[in-house]
Amino acid sequence: MLMLLTCTAAQAQQKHTISGTIKEKKSGEILIGASAYLLQLPGAHAVTNAYGFYSITAPAGNYTLIVSFAGYAQDTVAVTLQKDVTITAELEQESAKLQDVVVSATKQNDNISKPLMGVQKLSVNEIKNVPVIFGEKDVLKTIQLLPGVKSAGEGSSGFYVRGGGADQNLILLDEATVYNASHLLGFFSTFNSDAIKDLTLYKGGMPAEYGGRLASVVDIKMNDGNNKDYHIGGGIGLISSRLNVEGPIVKDKGSFTVSARRTYADMFLKLSKDSSINNNSIYFYDVNVKGNYRIDAKNRVYLSGYFGSDNLGFGNSFGIDYGNATGTARWNHVFNSKLFSNTSLIYSNYSYNIKINSGTNNILIKSKIQDLSLKEDLQYYLNSNNKINFGFNTIYHTISPGVVDASATSSFNSQALQSKYALENAVYIGHNVSATEKLNINYGLRVSTFSVMGPGNFYSYDTAGNTIATAHYNSGKIAKTYFNLEPRFSASYQLTENSSVKAAYTRNIQNLHLLSNSASTSPTDLWIPSSLNVKPEIADQVSLGYFRNFSQNKYEFSTEIYYKYMQNQIDYKNGAQLRANENVESQLLFGTGRAYGAEFFIKKKEGKLTGWISYTLSRTERKINGINNNNYYPAKQDQTHNIAIVGIYQASKKWTLSANWVYNTGNAVTFPNGKYDINGQTVFYYTQRNAYRMPAYHRLDLAATLIAKKTKKFESSWTFSIYNAYGRENAYSIAFQNDPNDATKTQAVQTALFRWVPSVTYNFKF
Amino acid sequence: MKTSNIKPYLLLLLMPAFFCCKKVIDVSLTNASPQIVIQGSVTNAPGPYHVSLTKTVKFSDSNTFPPVSGATVKITDVTAGTEEILTETDLGVYATRNLPQGMPGHTYRLDVTAGTSNYTATSVMPQPVTLDSVGFQHNTNFGKLQINAVPNFQDPAGISNYYTFHQYINGKSLNKEFVIDDRLSDGKYIARQLFTDSAYLQAGDVLTLQMNCTDKAVYNYFNTLQQAADANGFQSSTPSNPVSNISNNALGYFSANTVNYRTSMVK
Repeated sequence: MLMLLTCTAAQAQQKHTISGTIKEKKSGEILIGASAYLLQLPGAHAVTNAYGFYSITAPAGNYTLIVSFAGYAQDTVAVTLQKDVTITAELEQESAKLQDVVVSATKQNDNISKPLMGVQKLSVNEIKNVPVIFGEKDVLKTIQLLPGVKSAGEGSSGFYVRGGGADQNLILLDEATVYNASHLLGFFSTFNSDAIKDLTLYKGGMPAEYGGRLASVVDIKMNDGNNKDYHIGGGIGLISSRLNVEGPIVKDKGSFTVSARRTYADMFLKLSKDSSINNNSIYFYDVNVKGNYRIDAKNRVYLSGYFGSDNLGFGNSFGIDYGNATGTARWNHVFNSKLFSNTSLIYSNYSYNIKINSGTNNILIKSKIQDLSLKEDLQYYLNSNNKINFGFNTIYHTISPGVVDASATSSFNSQALQSKYALENAVYIGHNVSATEKLNINYGLRVSTFSVMGPGNFYSYDTAGNTIATAHYNSGKIAKTYFNLEPRFSASYQLTENSSVKAAYTRNIQNLHLLSNSASTSPTDLWIPSSLNVKPEIADQVSLGYFRNFSQNKYEFSTEIYYKYMQNQIDYKNGAQLRANENVESQLLFGTGRAYGAEFFIKKKEGKLTGWISYTLSRTERKINGINNNNYYPAKQDQTHNIAIVGIYQASKKWTLSANWVYNTGNAVTFPNGKYDINGQTVFYYTQRNAYRMPAYHRLDLAATLIAKKTKKFESSWTFSIYNAYGRENAYSIAFQNDPNDATKTQAVQTALFRWVPSVTYNFKF
Repeated sequence: MKTSNIKPYLLLLLMPAFFCCKKVIDVSLTNASPQIVIQGSVTNAPGPYHVSLTKTVKFSDSNTFPPVSGATVKITDVTAGTEEILTETDLGVYATRNLPQGMPGHTYRLDVTAGTSNYTATSVMPQPVTLDSVGFQHNTNFGKLQINAVPNFQDPAGISNYYTFHQYINGKSLNKEFVIDDRLSDGKYIARQLFTDSAYLQAGDVLTLQMNCTDKAVYNYFNTLQQAADANGFQSSTPSNPVSNISNNALGYFSANTVNYRTSMVK
């Protein structure tokens, strides 16, 4: 009898694994972050990874597998678990008739239980109704409406996260770094929403697999394409149009998608008869391509690419083109039901070319930064309570800061700045453990090295910026290696079924630094690697949060407080020469930064009215040797208060109305405290860095979407929007100058952009 | 390189579409206590040479700057070993009477004692470079004609040269300094436009262009002065005080420079 009992117990403990992929039913698109669990054993729970893969291990038995994903009808599958099984689940999108949706009692509340802090996820589906300038859906503009994220300026796709700089965001498109994520001076982002599946923003508590930038990770995934039917979709707007084609390569096995868009604002210039107007050009285009093919149940390959280019021309006298090109080749391999692997080969390139023809000066300037990278990520689903992520990443950077090709008659000499080479390596491991039913911990370590290499001269400078030593290194020889440990930790403790507290600590390292002497970023800003003089930037962040869901997870509330300390921050000497300067590093100043704040976020996820309110109270300061008497001063993007309200109202089956309102304290700026005269020119006297404030910024945007036609074969809609609906003259700049009408007086002049920008877009899909 | 600063071009392209409104606003500014401003130069042209001392005023005040009278101002030709205490010829304006004509290659020192404070600066007069001629470049931007002056001169190879330019239009001073260095132009024949943000030259005007050869510190002063003026808007980085070559936190500059003039009719 005893023996029998022991035997049964042993049998009961025999464990097997359910694994597989979760997809969208209509298109076959994989679903990232979908949740799967066993009804009889709710602790046996998994979330799909970036490739839709999940794995659940449980004792042998009969189970019901419940699969769900926000916005999709839940699916249940009966499972007889006597051996390892593979289950591919397909979920169907919930009907647009939101009022009919019954709130399911088993709705997941991952936001409460997962030890993820400072993370925001947006799907393109979610953002499609949020009004934006020019009616062009834009993920990078929509994230600016989230707590802790600040806009880099009016209409800009640039952003600051928790006090970080614009260059401290790691922006990934299918794992490839995008070095300049903006088109047309930032008024558009490089991300065509037709091609994007979703975006995850990490403001803190980054998992160990991410590294390379201080402030945030923006992980953007492209659509895979419909593997069942062919579709064509697109949109026609006032200043740009888009087209998307997708379909199966082999039905249910592989698919492709191609998305392209181009702006044509410059066509209006062509209407002018004046050659000084119709000779100018201003446009951009970009193309996203992706294909994937499932070789067998264990192997799948993906190829994705992006190419974009901006062209700005000013008659014959000046022209610039710039753009990114990225490519990612990936291979998913399921070693067994518990071990998932992805291997990626990644290419990224950002370049610009400038042409100048002015009098006798004919000049061509070329510059580029290029990455080649190999990345291996493994996920080991040890059991329901333990998941281990590990892998490595190696990147070879080539930076060609500039080649100047000047004609013989030119006032300038042709020259080529020395290219810079660096090898960035990292290995990481992360362990996600459910220590108890209530306590979830995610901890990990990233070990990173950064080596700057020859061929080239490496200079050392004294504090005055004079070269004190020059060392030459041959090709492949390492001039300097920085070694860093980046610990990552986050934990959540569930207080009740609907609430939890979380804590996180993260260290991030950044070895590529963007030098910019313009107020906002410019396409010609210069990337430099860490070197003998420039040390890796380091950020340590701690955060604490409280998360609470209400009304059966209909409402999500969260608040987080954070403190971040940054080392080896970079600023510039007064009058710094950043352009075409071999000794650019002699122009830099170094110091520290600190940022702290509290973020509040409440989101209504269901019903006729959806949307969110975000509020951030924060402070961001820098302390740089040689600036402001070496005292802390507010960074430009230090906005004390920052509010965003987003509302989307499903008025009827045909009409969706939406609005957003934003308010923020004006940026910190330097204004004069006196004036004097130099050779007849009035010169302003400054005493303190960033001691003043721009006027507060606020703006309301409205949009309405009308579904004109919706059949199985053809869908079309119109979106009407107005940016800055009440025409607030928000100060873009304030300049101090002599009064043109009275030279004995000085005055402050405010310039505003964008009052009432209306737009209309027609979208279709068949 | 000024020409690769593309922001002004891009903003010009976007301007007609997006810029909407400019207006004069009231900004409440705190006022710094008055600071001393020193301007002085020695040139290779015959003297007298002047040093002027003024003080800063509040932003809201009118543009009249109080002179600093009764100071002791001394210029020394360190190379020749001569010196002179300047005479105050007008309120806050001090002039030399006997100091020999400035010599390229000589180092000059300025000493100022005003009240209990002492200020010192040194400047080295570089070798002169001849301004051959002045040309004019016509640019038409969105239907508007803008004429810019183009100085033509040979930059000496193998040494660093620094130039500042001042323009007099029909005898009236244009209150703006233009700067060029040869960091990217060493040994080239230089013909570069002196860009401004407004159309200030008209065909038929008489332009006198003054070209100064200065040392690095004086160039740096005017370069940072101009950057601060440009930053006072939206183009560039945070504005700050120009980097002065005078000690003890004085504002202004002391320059030993060569001068060169060319007068021509704007075409």
